[in-house]
Amino acid sequence: MPRFIIQHITLYNYEEPVTDSTNQIILFPVEDEHQQLVNQQLTITGDPVVEIYKDYYGNKVGSFMNIAPHRELRIDSKVEVITVPRVLPEDIAEPIKQWSALKLLANDVLFLDFLRQENFSALAEMKAVADAGFYEVVSVYLAVQQLTEYVYTNFKYIQGVTSVETTLEEIWKLKAGVCQDFAHILLAMLRILHIPARYVSGYVCPKDEGMRGEGATHAWVEAYIPSYGWLGLDPTNNCVVNDLHVRLAIGRNFSDCSPVKGTYKGTARQTLEVGVSVAYDDGMVSDEENSFLKSQPVWSNPVDDGLNSYQRYMEMIQQQQ
Amino acid sequence: MPISDLLQSYLVDNDTWDEMYARASVREQYTKAIDFLQQLSPEELNKKEDLAKKLFMSQGITFTVYNSGEGIEKIFPFDIIPRIITATEWDFIERGIKQRLKALNLFLKDIYSNQFILKDGIIPAQIIFSCPHYLREMHNFAVPYDIYVHISGIDLIRDADGTFYILEDNLRTPSGVSYMLENREITKRIFPDLLPNNNVRSVTEYPNILYRNLVSFSPRQIKNPTIVLLTPGIYNSAYFEHSTLARLMGVELVQGSDLVVDNHKVYMKTTNGLQQVDVIYRRVDDEFLDPLVFNPTSMLGVAGILSAYRKGNVAIVNALGNGVADDKAVYTYVPAMIKYYLSEEPILKNVSTYHLAQEEEREYVFSNIQNMVIKKTNESGGYGMLMGSAASDEEIFQYKNEVLANPREFIAQPIISLSSAPCYMDGKLQARRIDLRPYALCGPDGVEIVPGGLTRVALREGSLIVNSSQGGGSKDTWVLGSQGLAGESE
Repeated sequence: MPRFIIQHITLYNYEEPVTDSTNQIILFPVEDEHQQLVNQQLTITGDPVVEIYKDYYGNKVGSFMNIAPHRELRIDSKVEVITVPRVLPEDIAEPIKQWSALKLLANDVLFLDFLRQENFSALAEMKAVADAGFYEVVSVYLAVQQLTEYVYTNFKYIQGVTSVETTLEEIWKLKAGVCQDFAHILLAMLRILHIPARYVSGYVCPKDEGMRGEGATHAWVEAYIPSYGWLGLDPTNNCVVNDLHVRLAIGRNFSDCSPVKGTYKGTARQTLEVGVSVAYDDGMVSDEENSFLKSQPVWSNPVDDGLNSYQRYMEMIQQQQ
Repeated sequence: MPISDLLQSYLVDNDTWDEMYARASVREQYTKAIDFLQQLSPEELNKKEDLAKKLFMSQGITFTVYNSGEGIEKIFPFDIIPRIITATEWDFIERGIKQRLKALNLFLKDIYSNQFILKDGIIPAQIIFSCPHYLREMHNFAVPYDIYVHISGIDLIRDADGTFYILEDNLRTPSGVSYMLENREITKRIFPDLLPNNNVRSVTEYPNILYRNLVSFSPRQIKNPTIVLLTPGIYNSAYFEHSTLARLMGVELVQGSDLVVDNHKVYMKTTNGLQQVDVIYRRVDDEFLDPLVFNPTSMLGVAGILSAYRKGNVAIVNALGNGVADDKAVYTYVPAMIKYYLSEEPILKNVSTYHLAQEEEREYVFSNIQNMVIKKTNESGGYGMLMGSAASDEEIFQYKNEVLANPREFIAQPIISLSSAPCYMDGKLQARRIDLRPYALCGPDGVEIVPGGLTRVALREGSLIVNSSQGGGSKDTWVLGSQGLAGESE
């Protein structure tokens, strides 16, 4: 059973002191039969009280505030996790029975959120690819792997071409992106085929061969396989997920699982650096601290919204209505 | 002018229930008021009307119409002739609304916990899960006294035979109660003797009942909890109401920027430093309430307020996520909720409603569109609706396309004619269509409804649209005391 020590640092710096900072973190590894949390140390600038609750999807979510003026916010989470290898589906039932078992879930409260695909303008194009006539001849287990491979093969892994605000349609046209984008595309294709599919955020911890998604939080997908349960699929690395992925949260999409998000008051420009390093039970470390932090684009700089003071004032009036 | 002239000019549509007139005679509840009015000369009546207008203007009783392209604040048109409801009618309405609210509160509690009603197949889960106001963030914690709808404004209309129907449930941030209070004040000024002579029940208790309830929701059991009314700001259509209610209750009127959350408690910024807030009567929509959790660009909310709420450190009135219960597609299932949770027959009826997401119902509506009103499931205030009887072919064509793009967002109802009531316009009495919005308050001891409400009037002749944003006005609404029951005491 692999044992990992993962350090995940999120570091915000502000040019000028900011106040009234409020944050939400989803950085608490899932604890179940496939994953054990040995311990977790969470260190946050200013040592605020972190309230933790379980959200609708069963994720542990923390929130904390820091209202005094500050120039830096550092969220340092160090976890020790043991993962348990999974037995993969035996896949013996006839495909037709598996697909009809899935159709029975269409009105099931437990699966509805993971079956609903929002309408978007490229949906018809995507439906032509995720075609029931083509995929339903094989088992669900095989079909989800073929779809994973489709995304892996047809989308280029390029950092910086997309952001958290990039729409599904834009990713579909761009045919490129990072792990979130790969996951969102696969989710939509699975849902088109009535396969319940959920977004997973977490860490990927390969020791020997490199995998995409190292050095940051990773994202992948879980699909529901009849008479088996949720099966992890990593379209960014074209693999079925086993004991090298550590789960933090599940949800419908990225915004249900956003690992760190926050707001603050002040007009100062912020910079963000994020790093994830993994140490293995033999003492090997994937990255040394301080060298592994990578600066990230910040999408919601208050001074970067392209509006002047007058336009912001008009925007506020608009909202009040 | 003798009364016969006032009444002779009054024309009632035969297919419409008129509140004052039945078979060419004045209904009993109106006789005293009409007798009084007939003693006034047209000059006197005109003076009264003028005085009412001046009072509205000088007291700044306004509302705002969006997208009108004109000066935004308007005087809310007021008609001086009261709308009169008998004690028997009121008893029926009151029982019906209490029953409905009881069921709606149980529904919200259920939807945000066990979802029994979905598991038992009473309401299709699809409808709930596709509702944009279904907030998954409201799961896994309890709200004080299990009350979600503390304040409601449920709209009622009357069919041609006088039957009351529920038109819609407003369970989020219903507005208009300040006009109910102001209209009464104006009546007192222009017809000082009329109220006591008619045994009209008082509505002025409303702010006191609301305040008492707000105090009881305070998580801190202290003598003087801090209660605030959170407004989006001066540009909101209901800002007049926000400031009026805050003044009448003696609570602070605040905007999001006046509040801050520290260590999961909400504080108000004052000249003496931070003061902990216990209860927030908010008039900011869910989506804008917490930029951390919902719309990150919101400038109206308070980041972290949801954490404080979840922790039980602050009470929020109304609760978040109520939109799942007043969604117009969910409305169809309220009678089923009443049976499911209360094992009772619904007292007040629903208007029959077609779901446009269902192909058969959509086809039916499209082929009978002249007799239908189509509404958006999540809009209010009369925005975005189509009256099949009044729309042009072009408008119908465009609207159909809009429906087909997102059928879940639309419902249709047969056009109900609405009852009429006399209005004093251009020096004579004229029949105009009206509805009724009573305001119900849920507190730890149950539901209280001040006897009255807001009667909205479609001021254009023949119009069925009463929304103030669509050229509607309002009237003072009298509920008469039954024999022996005290009337207006001021």
